[in-house]
Amino acid sequence: MSEESNNIGAGGKRKIELDAITEWVEDGQSVLDLGCGRGILLSEIMRRHKGIYAVGVDTDFTKITHCIRRGVNAYHGDIMDALKSFSDKSFDWIVCSRTLPEVENPKEVIMQSLRVGRKVAVGFVNYGFWANRLSILFSGNRIVNKVFPEKWEDARPSNQISVNDFKEFCKSNDITINREHCLKGNWRTPCKFCPNLLSGYAIFEISLEK
Amino acid sequence: MNDSGTGTFQANGDGDVGIVSYKDYFCPTPLEFELGGRLDSFNVRYETYGRLNSEKSNAILVCHALTGDHHCAGVYSIMDKKSGWWNNIIGPKKPLDTEKYFVICSNCIGGCRGTTGPASINPATGERYNLTFPAITMRDMVAVQRRLLAHLEIEKLHMVIGGSMGGMQALQWAIDYPEMVERVCALATTSRQNAQAIAFNEVGRSAIMQDPVWNNGNYELARIPSVGLGIARMMAHITYLSDKGLEGKFGREHSAIDGTKIFKPSFDIESYLHHQGQSFVNRFDANTYLYFTRALDLFDLRGKYGSLENAFKDVSARVLCVGFTSDWLFPPEQNREIVRALLRCKKTASYAEIKSDLGHDSFLIHSPKLYTLIENFLDV
Repeated sequence: MSEESNNIGAGGKRKIELDAITEWVEDGQSVLDLGCGRGILLSEIMRRHKGIYAVGVDTDFTKITHCIRRGVNAYHGDIMDALKSFSDKSFDWIVCSRTLPEVENPKEVIMQSLRVGRKVAVGFVNYGFWANRLSILFSGNRIVNKVFPEKWEDARPSNQISVNDFKEFCKSNDITINREHCLKGNWRTPCKFCPNLLSGYAIFEISLEK
Repeated sequence: MNDSGTGTFQANGDGDVGIVSYKDYFCPTPLEFELGGRLDSFNVRYETYGRLNSEKSNAILVCHALTGDHHCAGVYSIMDKKSGWWNNIIGPKKPLDTEKYFVICSNCIGGCRGTTGPASINPATGERYNLTFPAITMRDMVAVQRRLLAHLEIEKLHMVIGGSMGGMQALQWAIDYPEMVERVCALATTSRQNAQAIAFNEVGRSAIMQDPVWNNGNYELARIPSVGLGIARMMAHITYLSDKGLEGKFGREHSAIDGTKIFKPSFDIESYLHHQGQSFVNRFDANTYLYFTRALDLFDLRGKYGSLENAFKDVSARVLCVGFTSDWLFPPEQNREIVRALLRCKKTASYAEIKSDLGHDSFLIHSPKLYTLIENFLDV
């Protein structure tokens, strides 16, 4: 990892993505954040835009209490359970920020999100990042670094995605990629060239609109 | 008249409201009940803790559950062994902080703890109302609380909070008087009494109504249908607990089993339930039990308004619903459903779920998680 990336802590990394998604959202829109954590993204969107209707979903009780303290609507429970209760296109945005690797049925979550939301913002760590490839190539061990800090025995099951994986998925499911925002290993500088190899983090805006 | 400043509490500094006393509000204005019938006048017994601020913006209304009453915090005298039913949550530096908030709790209309109910004397006849008392609904309970607040000159509630039947009232408040309610906190509740809950209530009512002493509701107060009411309470009490909770507390502990008195209650759980039944009949009126359980059964926001969304369409309060994992009377799903409907109509609402082994009664029991939720919710 570069020197620069070492200077951005987890919070800093989160902020880059937060800024990107916050910028995509417009005044008066509604946002459903799947895996909303402590409600930081949603409260930022509410702070920077007028007339936002925001709802966060998370399975962690403590995180829900933080959302409530922030004044962010929070639904403590299963993502699919929440998604299924909403009618078609009832939100302008569905946000899945680092959520997909954690869910049991990522395809269903994406398809339901596309049903409920007009647009879906998906952010994930690019598993195809060159440093990950080198790490496996040389050590032969499962990756342990700042982004994946835990050893396998301490980590929750997670289902990592590469930029190419995601694009292929979208193509084969007739999902339109409206925006692609790939960032280099520092999770800050935009990465236009060969993102599957060179980007550390990717944010996509997808929809079913042609 | 505003008698909130008369200082009914005496803080003892250890987080309790201390010695409290109840007040009575006699309402001379007739009350029409939702399902017909009316009272020309009625009494509401209530307690308040803390002080109403000059803007009258710090009032919190606490709504009690089926067998609760207006005495939710403090004690009446230093000799009292038990404090009010929600003493763990109400008091200085507690979630409903009486240094910050003015907390009000009244006995529901139809009750038996001081508010006019079936056991009260009908001034027109000089006899007890008994079953001539009008049928009661959540809307009637809330309408009476509204009268009390008018009497206290309170136009805005910082929060309405309650669990179980109290949660239903809190929701009804948000629906009936949206302009008055800033926050609603509904715990272990439902938007619609389901078949299982109605079933349990009917068993309880049957026990009372088939007690010969009940006599169509016209029992002597000196000789009450204590067998029926006691059994109703024993049975209902089981629904407030959980398998795991009961097992943890009682297990199979028992006294010596005597083969010649094989049916003498010997297991600790049996003695406990008999004790619950016995102490209940000493403080609760059988007819009130019938009326209140019926009010619960009739509670159905979906049925009444066509859909939950329609029921909630005018709600402007922030809503927090809390479910408890081991609650099988009003399970988490029934609490979640309320919030999902609110969110569908773009309301300000949150749902949180607390892991607890203590069943439906979890909302009454010491729970730092619940305290955090309520404190955070009040801070927004």
